[in-house]
Amino acid sequence: MTDGWNIVVCVKQVPDADDVTIDPDTGTLNRSDAPAVLNSPDRNAVESALELRAAVGGTVTAITMGPPVAKAVLQTAVGAGADGGVLLTDRAFGGSDTWPTSLALARAAAELDADVVICGEESTDSSTGQVPPGIAAHNGWSQLTYVESLEPRPDEGVLVGKRDVEGGYERVAAQLPVVVAMEFGANVPRPAGLHRKIFAETEFEPVEWTASDLGIEEQVGLANSPTKVGGMDTASPVERERVVVDSVDDLYEHIEEVV
Amino acid sequence: MSVDIEAYEDVWVFVEQHDGVVAPVSWELLAKGRELADETGDDLVALVMGDGVSALAEAAVSRGADRALLADDPVFEPYRADPYGEQFRALVEERKPSIVLIGGSHTGRDFAGRVAVPAHAGLTADCTELDVDDEGLLLASRPTFGGDAMATIKCPAHRPQMATVRPGVFDAGNPTEHVSDPAAAVEEVEVVVAEEDTLSTVIERVVGDVVDITDADVVVAGGAGCEGNFAPIEELADALGGEVAATRAAVDEGWVEPARQVGQTGKTVRPQLYVAAGISGAVQHLEGMNDSDVVVAVNTDPNAPIFENADYGIVGDLHEVLPELTALVRAKQEVTA
Ligand SMILES: Cc1cc2nc3c(=O)[nH]c(=O)nc-3n(C[C@H](O)[C@H](O)[C@H](O)COP(=O)(O)OP(=O)(O)OC[C@H]3O[C@@H](n4cnc5c(N)ncnc54)[C@H](O)[C@@H]3O)c2cc1C
Ligand SMILES: Cc1cc2nc3c(=O)[nH]c(=O)nc-3n(C[C@H](O)[C@H](O)[C@H](O)COP(=O)(O)OP(=O)(O)OC[C@H]3O[C@@H](n4cnc5c(N)ncnc54)[C@H](O)[C@@H]3O)c2cc1C
Repeated sequence: MTDGWNIVVCVKQVPDADDVTIDPDTGTLNRSDAPAVLNSPDRNAVESALELRAAVGGTVTAITMGPPVAKAVLQTAVGAGADGGVLLTDRAFGGSDTWPTSLALARAAAELDADVVICGEESTDSSTGQVPPGIAAHNGWSQLTYVESLEPRPDEGVLVGKRDVEGGYERVAAQLPVVVAMEFGANVPRPAGLHRKIFAETEFEPVEWTASDLGIEEQVGLANSPTKVGGMDTASPVERERVVVDSVDDLYEHIEEVV
Repeated sequence: MSVDIEAYEDVWVFVEQHDGVVAPVSWELLAKGRELADETGDDLVALVMGDGVSALAEAAVSRGADRALLADDPVFEPYRADPYGEQFRALVEERKPSIVLIGGSHTGRDFAGRVAVPAHAGLTADCTELDVDDEGLLLASRPTFGGDAMATIKCPAHRPQMATVRPGVFDAGNPTEHVSDPAAAVEEVEVVVAEEDTLSTVIERVVGDVVDITDADVVVAGGAGCEGNFAPIEELADALGGEVAATRAAVDEGWVEPARQVGQTGKTVRPQLYVAAGISGAVQHLEGMNDSDVVVAVNTDPNAPIFENADYGIVGDLHEVLPELTALVRAKQEVTA
């Protein structure tokens, strides 16, 4: 591994914060209603990929699975410093739950001969956190989730991750290839460099792969997703009094009624 | 790629343990799993993995499991995704559980995400309601988009049907009954993983006691507005006999231990009184405290979303308001004492 590590960073396009509505008939997202952005935890993944490259050498390739417009999140990653990007796009991917999603990303990572795959903690739209361990499982690779920091040991072919665990932390040495999920907020993502940003927005073109390019057209999409959204209910919002009082004495009286 | 669904039965609960101490969420799920198994007519099975943990398998039986499966070997302590995952894969292949419930802790989510793939299981994350329909199909409901909607997720053609649940969502109760010989219901399974085949090594583990704030009747929570000084929060919590909690922002700053984080990626609490001070009211935070009986907000910004989600609020600096409140609580206690 003299020429460094092949680092793959997974970035997802998500609807911006709260501007999402749900189609009451189909129970699916009206994604078109909301402006699409890079999943914010993935900024920590990109930053940590760039830091890792600085430490061990090699390349950073961003990958995303999504519609053609998801190219935008690859541009963001390239603007921040990623060397290249791959867009996994195909109608066949539509409706995939975490099982096929992680399969597609796993195949792409294997295709890219990845040593390290770095993901975000979870997405802000469906927030399962299941994709990173899913990628590792599909490829039979090691995994490090909820990672606060990384310590590469290229001579041993090992990546050590400091994991946030219940009541403290642990340091785990994982054999390469390894899939990492960085903890949201684990680092301070760098801003895009001006020249890099211009390059990302004008010259950069992602490599595009379809499901059949990856040989998985029979294993993805809604039909191959074990979970099905069976129904969508608007949650009844909790009724609150919403009384704003003027004095601490008044506030105390309300508290006294409860305890 | 569907499977012979009829071949799958039983409700399994993964009993997460570290150094012989069971994560409370596991007992919460065992209580919920008991309800589901009673409805479907299946057995409730506790899955216990670790090193020298047969007592925990017996405890699970005493707490209501019909049986416990015990994978006992040094390779399972401390937890690592790859040996746990490989053992689970083998067990699922052989025993075919219909439903598997796993705590939504960091360990539980690390485990669930890995083991669902080889099993080709459907895995629903962060469920807040679990039920079964007439055909015994698991109905796993989870809030989406900050609680605006609930999605009910089913897994009609794949088994097992897996779900994770965050700590504090269900009640563990205290179901310990007298089982005369719990050990008789524990089955030690064949360990299929060898240390030399593992892909990872835990080289350091630094963990202390983990507080459990999920059962508290009073919770006083602070956010970024505390600006590094949690003393007003701690003193009010102390005066009210409650627990201190925090937003993820405050935890990330290192002001409060992570076990006290409330919200989507933390704990779910449902106290009689929840005081939110210096907390803006982000959807991810609201998800963990929306079921509180009474919510009180203290914030300098009258437009903070927390006021929309509170019963009583005051616009003011928490560093002034909370000490005054604490003094009033203490004064009253002295009068009644
Ligand atoms: C309301 C709703 C509820 C859902 N609930 C479930 C459920 O409980 N179980 C289930 O299996 N599926 C569920 N899904 C489907 C799920 O949203 C999709 O499979 C989704 O594409 C991936 O899951 P995630 O966003 O939760 O990923 P997470 O696992 O939360 O993402 C973690 C990281 O993986 C990477 N990543 C994830 N997706 C991509 C991508 N498309 N491209 C590149 N990198 C990516 C990113 O680095 C990200 O930070 C649900 C969908 C909806 C609309
Ligand atoms: C994937 C993901 C998961 C997340 N999970 C969680 C989670 O589980 N729990 C969680 O809490 N968050 C979670 N978050 C973060 C969440 O989005 C918010 O960023 C966070 O809750 C904000 O915390 P805060 O209210 O303390 O800080 P801020 O939003 O910065 O709010 C601080 C508030 O304090 C007020 N204030 C300032 N000074 C004072 C003063 N002197 N007196 C009174 N008020 C004052 C301000 O007006 C402001 O309203 C998650 C985010 C993501 C992306």
